[in-house]
Amino acid sequence: MVGDDGERALVLGIDTGGTYTDGVLMDYHAREVLATYKSLTTKHDLSIGIDNVLEHIHLENPDEIRMVSVSTTLATNAIAEGKGKRVGLFLIGYDPDLIDSFHLGRHFSTPDYFYFAGGHDLNGQEKEPLDLEGLLAKANEIKGTVDALAISSYFSPLNPEHEQRTREAIASVCDLPIVMGHQLSTKLGSVERATTAALNASLLGVLQRFVIAVRRAMERRQIHAPLMVVRGDGTLMSDEFAARTPVETIHSGPAASAIGGRFLSGRDNALVVDIGGTTTDLALVEDGRVAIREDGAMVADYKTAVKAAQLLSIGLGGDSHISVSPDKSMVLGPERVVPLGQLAAQHEQVRRRLEALARRSWSLTQGEWLDYWFLLREPSPRDVVEDDRHKRLLDLLRSGPLPVPEILKTMGLLHRNQLGAETLFSQEILSKGGLTPTDLLHYEGRYVQWDREASSWAIQVFSRSQSMAPEELADVVWRRMTATIVGAIVSFLSGLPLSSFNQADQGPDSWFFKNSLVEGHPHLSTEFRLRHPIIGIGAPAGILLPPVASALHTELLLPNRFEVANAVGAVGGSVMVEEEVLIYPRLSSGGLDVVGYYVQDGESRRMFETLEDALTDGRVRGRDRMLGAAARAGAENPQVDIVEIENGLDSYRLRIKALGNPRLSR
Amino acid sequence: MDLKRVDTERAYHLIREKIITLELPPGSPVDVDQLIQELETAPSSVPEALKLLAHEGLVSLPPDGVFVGEISLPDLQQLSELRSLLEGFAARLAARRATEDDLDVLSALREEQAQVPRDDVRRLFDVDHKFHRAIARAAHNDYLAQVLDRFYGLSLRLWHLAGPEMDVLAGAVKEHLELLTAIQAGESERAESIMRQHIGVFYDHVLRAFKERGD
Repeated sequence: MVGDDGERALVLGIDTGGTYTDGVLMDYHAREVLATYKSLTTKHDLSIGIDNVLEHIHLENPDEIRMVSVSTTLATNAIAEGKGKRVGLFLIGYDPDLIDSFHLGRHFSTPDYFYFAGGHDLNGQEKEPLDLEGLLAKANEIKGTVDALAISSYFSPLNPEHEQRTREAIASVCDLPIVMGHQLSTKLGSVERATTAALNASLLGVLQRFVIAVRRAMERRQIHAPLMVVRGDGTLMSDEFAARTPVETIHSGPAASAIGGRFLSGRDNALVVDIGGTTTDLALVEDGRVAIREDGAMVADYKTAVKAAQLLSIGLGGDSHISVSPDKSMVLGPERVVPLGQLAAQHEQVRRRLEALARRSWSLTQGEWLDYWFLLREPSPRDVVEDDRHKRLLDLLRSGPLPVPEILKTMGLLHRNQLGAETLFSQEILSKGGLTPTDLLHYEGRYVQWDREASSWAIQVFSRSQSMAPEELADVVWRRMTATIVGAIVSFLSGLPLSSFNQADQGPDSWFFKNSLVEGHPHLSTEFRLRHPIIGIGAPAGILLPPVASALHTELLLPNRFEVANAVGAVGGSVMVEEEVLIYPRLSSGGLDVVGYYVQDGESRRMFETLEDALTDGRVRGRDRMLGAAARAGAENPQVDIVEIENGLDSYRLRIKALGNPRLSR
Repeated sequence: MDLKRVDTERAYHLIREKIITLELPPGSPVDVDQLIQELETAPSSVPEALKLLAHEGLVSLPPDGVFVGEISLPDLQQLSELRSLLEGFAARLAARRATEDDLDVLSALREEQAQVPRDDVRRLFDVDHKFHRAIARAAHNDYLAQVLDRFYGLSLRLWHLAGPEMDVLAGAVKEHLELLTAIQAGESERAESIMRQHIGVFYDHVLRAFKERGD
C-alpha cells in the first residue's frame, strides 16, 4: 500500500518500557520497519531515553518524519510509586456512611477527600441543593496544600450541572487546575469516577512535563511533526489531549505491544505474549482490535473508569533474578537485575571475580556471591543522602560493582537489611546485578550479546551451590519459566486467579495443570489447546516461547522485527474519540408521568417532547461533536460509529465513536 | 502541544513580573537579547511575549526599539476615568444580575480577604483582583470582563509604584463588604457609586505617591 501521493511517509514509534526505550523508524503505508534503536529507560527522566533514541536512529532527513508517536509507562509508574501530585477530591452528593462502611475511601487514591451536599438522582433531578458555600470554604482552606482539585458529583453523567457550577465558582477563587468527573467517564459507578478524576488531576503535571520534554527532544533533532500518545486501549490521541487526560495513558505500553504484534503479523485473532527484561505481558487481539476491559482498568490498587486493554502482567522476564531463598531453594523473579554477563562486559573486575569464584572448586560457594550492587549514577543535589551508612556504601561502590557479602564484610554488617538501602535503589542511584535467564542463554550459546564466559562461570558457581549440573539447572529454570507463562495464559483466558496454578498445590486442578504441561501419566493424557496462535514479542520471545506454544498445542508466530513490536504498535493504532450520550425520561413533578426526554452529552443537556426527537438529536449532534473532536485529536477522515444501547426504564445510551488514521503532517 | 506557545507563555509571565515589580522601570529600554539569555528560553519566545505585553499596555514597540510602558500623570488620569466608569458599570449590572453562585463566590473572596494577614500584600492584591474579576463575571457581560482583565497588569504595576506601604488594601476590606451588601440587596445605584469611589480612592493614593516620587 502506498500513500495517495505515492511518496513514502516516515513515522517514528517510541515505547518507553520498564527496562528499555525502543524506537522504530517506519514507512507508514508500506508497514515496513526501516531502522530500530534500543536505549535504556531513564526512569528519573524518561525524555533522556527518548532523546537517545532520536539521536541514534538513522534519519537522513528529519523533515521527512510525518508523525511521532509514543507509548509511556509514566502514568502507571507514577501511580504505583505514589509520585503523582497531591489532589483534593470534592465528592458532591456522596453518602459518607456508605463509603465508610464498605471502606471505599482508600480507593480514591488521595487521602484528601471531602463530602458536600448536592448531586442528582437516577432521573437527573437535583437530589439536594449544592453546598457551594461549603465547597468554596474548603477550596480556600486547602488550596495551599494541594496541587490540583478533582470534583465528582453523584450521577453527574446524567446531569453534570453541580460539577460545572462547582468548577466555575472555585476557578474564581483559586488558580489550581480542576478536573471534573463527568468529562472522564460516562459510567455511573460513582467511586470509579471519583478515583479516575483524582488520578487524572494528580497526573496532569507529570504528563505535561513529559510531552514538553519529548517536544523539545524533537525540536533539537529538527523533527517538525504531530506528536501522538498511545492510550490504554491502543488507540492514539494528540499530545494536547494526553496532557489533559493523562489517566487514559494507563497501560498504554502493553496495548501498544499487542497492536504492534497484530500490525506486523497481519493476524486479526491471536494471543500476544510480550517478554521483556522485567515482565511478561499478555493481551488478546480479537477481530483486529485489542480486547478491552469494559469494567475499567486497575492500576496499583485503584479501580478506574478508564477503558484499557485487558491484560495480565507477570514479574518474569529475561532479566528476572535467579536466586536462593532462605530455605535454599531456587527462586525465579520477580525482581529484575542486570545479568552478570552484561555487568562483566561493562566492568572488568566483575569478570575477574566471577572467574576466581568459578575456579574455587574446593568449596561449596554460596549463591549470594553472585548478587552484585553497583552505582548507577551519582546522587544529584535533589536526592537527599543523609544516612552515614549510605554515604559509606556509595563511597565503596564508586570503585565499581561489589558482591553483597563483600560489601557487608567491609562495612562490618551481618545482614543486607541492616543497610536499609531500598531508597537508594528506588531512586535509581544504586542498582543490582545477578544471575538471570539471560546468563543461562549465554551459557547455552543460544543468545550471546554480552560476556559469554562470565555468564558461564556464574552458571557453574550457582549450579554447584545447588548441587546440580549446569544442564540440570538449565532444565529446571526453563521448565519453571514455561510453566509460569502457561499458567499465566490459562489464568488470563479463563479468568481464574493465578494462584490456582500453584506448583506446590496437590489438588485435582493442579494435577490437571501439571499433567497437561508434561506428558507424565502412563494412562491419562490431558492437554490445553489454545484456539488462537501466539504472537511472540520481545527480545527473548524466539527462545522462550516455543515450549510455551507446544505446551498449548498452538502455532507460534514471530513476526519480522518482533523484538520492537511495542514501538511499532505506538504508530499502528488509530486515532479515536468516544462519547456516550445519555437519553432518559423527564418525569412530572409527582414522578409518575413521563413529560419529555433529556439528551445529555458532554456539552449540554437538552429537552425534547418525544423519545424519537431526543434520539435523533443525540445521534445528529453526537456525530458532529465526535467528528470535530476526532479532527482536533489528530484523525484524518474520521468515520463515526454509533451504537444504541437500551438501558431499561425508558432510557438509552448512544455510544458514539469516531475513528480514523492519524493525520500525518504536510 | 505547541512548544512555541509554552515558551511564549513562560516568557510572558516572567517579563511581566519584572515590569510589574518595577525591576524593569517605566520608560526603560528592553534588551531583547539579554532577556533571552537571562530567561534561558527560545529566541522567538521573547518578541512574542513582548507583543502580548504591548497589547496590555505594559511595553511599547516603536520602530526604534522596545521600551517599558511609561507612566505619566495624564495616563493615570485617563486610566482612572475609564476604570471607575467600567467597574462602576460592572457593579451596577452585578447588583441586577448576580446569581446565588456569584454571591457565594463574592462572599468567599471577601471572607478570605478578611483573613489574609495585613503584611501579605501580594496575596491581598491577588484576592482584591479576584474580587473585582468576580464582580465583572457577576455582571454577565463577557466583553466587559475581558476589557477589565486587560487593566490588571497596569494596576498591579501602579500599586508597586505607589509602594507596598500604601494602606489602601486594608481599607478595601470595608469597602468590599459594603459593595457586597449592596449587590446582595440588588441596589444597583449604590453598588455603582461604592465601586466608583473605591476605584477613586485607589487612584488618589497612586497619584499622591506618583507626585511625591516626581518631586
